[in-house]
Amino acid sequence: MGKNVLLADDDQLLASLLNFRLKKGGYTVHHSVNGKEVKEYLENTMPDIIVSDIMMPYFSGIELIDYVRNELKSNTPIIIISSAGNEQNVLTAFELGANDFITKPVSPTELLVRIAREIDK
Amino acid sequence: MLIPPSQIKISIITAPEFNLEYLWWLTILFFVLSVVYFIGVFIIRNRITSTNGRTKDKKVEFSPMINEFLFYEDSNTKEEKMNYLNLKVQIRELIKHNFDREVLTEVLLDLRKDLSGQSQTVLIALYTDLGLHQDAYEKLGSRKWQVVSRGIVELTTMEVDESYGLIIKFINHRQSTIRKQAEIAVVNLREEGIKYFLDNTKFKIAEWQQLKLLDVLRHKPNYTPPQFSLWLTSTNTHVVLFSLRLIKYYSQNGAEQSIITLLKHKNRDIQAEAIECIIDFHFVNALITLKLVYSKASNDIKIAILDAIGELGTKAEASFLENLQLTERNFNIKSKVIGTLNKIDPERVLPTKNISSADFYDVELEDAMQEEELSIIDNHEDIVLHDGIEDVSTEINIEVIGTEEITKIPRSFEEDITDKETERVMNEDSTEFEAELQQNDVKKVYSLDDIDLSFLPHIKEEVVFEERSKETETVVDNEHDLELEEELTFNFLPFVVEEDVIEEVTTSYNDDDFKPLFELDDELLGEVPEEISVNPLDNTSKKMAHVFDWSTLNSENEEQHEVVINTADSAEPVISFENDNVSFAANFMPQEDLDAMVMLENISELGDCRELILLYQIIEKNSSEVVIERANELIQKFSYQSPRPNELFSDDNDLSDSVFTDIYNLADYETKLMLIEEIKLVGDEKEIHLLENVIQSESKKLVKKANEALEYIKSQLLIVDDKPNNTTDKESILNGDTELESKNTTKYKRPVSNENGSTLFDQLCSMSNSLYKKKDG
Repeated sequence: MGKNVLLADDDQLLASLLNFRLKKGGYTVHHSVNGKEVKEYLENTMPDIIVSDIMMPYFSGIELIDYVRNELKSNTPIIIISSAGNEQNVLTAFELGANDFITKPVSPTELLVRIAREIDK
Repeated sequence: MLIPPSQIKISIITAPEFNLEYLWWLTILFFVLSVVYFIGVFIIRNRITSTNGRTKDKKVEFSPMINEFLFYEDSNTKEEKMNYLNLKVQIRELIKHNFDREVLTEVLLDLRKDLSGQSQTVLIALYTDLGLHQDAYEKLGSRKWQVVSRGIVELTTMEVDESYGLIIKFINHRQSTIRKQAEIAVVNLREEGIKYFLDNTKFKIAEWQQLKLLDVLRHKPNYTPPQFSLWLTSTNTHVVLFSLRLIKYYSQNGAEQSIITLLKHKNRDIQAEAIECIIDFHFVNALITLKLVYSKASNDIKIAILDAIGELGTKAEASFLENLQLTERNFNIKSKVIGTLNKIDPERVLPTKNISSADFYDVELEDAMQEEELSIIDNHEDIVLHDGIEDVSTEINIEVIGTEEITKIPRSFEEDITDKETERVMNEDSTEFEAELQQNDVKKVYSLDDIDLSFLPHIKEEVVFEERSKETETVVDNEHDLELEEELTFNFLPFVVEEDVIEEVTTSYNDDDFKPLFELDDELLGEVPEEISVNPLDNTSKKMAHVFDWSTLNSENEEQHEVVINTADSAEPVISFENDNVSFAANFMPQEDLDAMVMLENISELGDCRELILLYQIIEKNSSEVVIERANELIQKFSYQSPRPNELFSDDNDLSDSVFTDIYNLADYETKLMLIEEIKLVGDEKEIHLLENVIQSESKKLVKKANEALEYIKSQLLIVDDKPNNTTDKESILNGDTELESKNTTKYKRPVSNENGSTLFDQLCSMSNSLYKKKDG
């Protein structure tokens, strides 16, 4: 049984692709398309790592980090996916407790390496 | 005749008769139309929704297939490979339908934006592998501009290199969207695309389009830009402008003449861009053209030109700018001119508004002139001394130029000063005078070319000071003067005023190193520096100059001069000048005396008052006069090292002048005010001279403060003088052998400590601290 990864991204195509790659990499992936789903999932289960897009409906990636760190009091590693030129959001994410970030366009292989590194920490 | 009101008939407007049946028919018609409209909207909306749903489903269907294709590896298992082959067959079946092809294309285009690295490369390969680029080619032939545009975008995004030949024909398309997409595609697809585009485009290149094209270029990996100067001759002004921007971006500074020529271009944007290039590449040769085009340039170009002159210009451009300052009427440009003037020549333009005239300060012209003379001479001395002093210690070959040349110095300065005086009298405006004075100072004093420095002796730097204890060569020779003057240029030789040379010569003769080796009569030794110490710029040294006969030293028919220094003990010459060399006749001391002298010299260098006992013992043990004398000197030295009062307050001592003078001369306006306040608090009669100078030369506020301080100090001095105990005058105190802390001295001098008990030194320290704090912000 691989490590649990929560993938939160409203872009179905990209999420499907990353999901496929992560599963191929040996991870168990749960995909949520919006903040509500993410919140519901986290209330029941805490994954080994969270990979989240910053821009999501209902519940942004920034809010997700705040929720995980301050309400759930969890130290689960969080990797943020952001668009290029969105540095301010990335900085805010780091301030709130994000562990790493990756910018679009994403290299799935690179993401896999980053996830492995964060889990190994 | 009046008509009774009852008979008046008012006509009432009556509605036309209307058949109610028509009204019903119209109502039914509008109702039907609205129903049709709503049904149409409903149908279209449903169709769009269903299409989106189908598209979404298709995307979901295609997504795992694409994932399989993207992450397929040769190392996959047999089952995975079988699955991959099945998917390939399946997807080829699917894309036979146009809708499926469009969805697949859309998916690939979306993923292209979100993916990078190896996945992106595989995705692009998949696009062409599935033949989707053929659809894009077909779109290029469409009549609809939006379809053509979409086709170009697809081919550009998927980097289909083969489409380059098809797209370039849209470069000059009349539809601007197609044209712009084609421009980006051409530049993006091939490295030579930018050349083709710049060669062939006939339309305007919008600013935004230029930015996008530049963005495409700078994101191209391993891109080698062509020489964009080739397009500076283009007939399309937008191409020229874009080329100039590309030249600036890629720092291609090989087109100096072309860019300078573009300064004369009729298009203002090109002119402005050319000026920016000139500033960036520092094309100094453009200054002439810049000044040439200035007169007919628009205001913004004029400001740009002034910016360029400020960056590239030298003081040679000052006259041009001064003319502009007089002629320009536009406030912004005039301000820019002044700013540029001050940039190339700082403080050339001084404040003129609300500045009081010279008469306002009641300064006598002659006094000011005298001060000016002194300051100029001082400045000159400073320059010369600064250049020469440091190097003297390592130099020994000294060539002295004759007295005739020395006499030239003051004359040349007198001429300068006289010229200045004439100019000054002619000019009544004080501000202009000040500006001119500064210019004159710079030009006539600080410009080495303008100063007649021929009177200065040349010091040959390459002289090696070898084995100083064995031989010391002091060459006072004029035979080689002319040759050396030809050989030695002014630039690298330091200038030395004789005063410093003499100090060095004096130390060379009178140095402690020689004492153990030679027995020299002090009187005779004292004569040597006296004879040589002639400073043409110093009045005190001039008094001694009569002893030294320069003419004999410099005469061409100089024979062997032998200066014989007779000592009381020995008839042999101790120092002789033979063939322009100084030779010493050694008179060796006994070994014991020599050892004692060595010890004394060591004590002199390293010892202090604790060595007094040892010194007394040396005197007791040794009989040599030289040793005893030296020991006595050291005893005297270590017994009392503090300055004597008469030394402190002698005219030669710096302490006789106000300690505030140096600080005041270097201070800014606020600091000067503070200093005057402090002088008022702690100053005495030494500050009177400084305050008088301030009153004569400074601004109104400073003068007022200085007057207050001066009056206060004078009043304090009078009070002190009136006291019965204070009967001694300054001379009596200074001549007396009293200590610094003696009662009379402290009474006579204005109290150097204030009410808090802090001394003048404390005050100065605190002021110095506050000044440094202020300077450090």
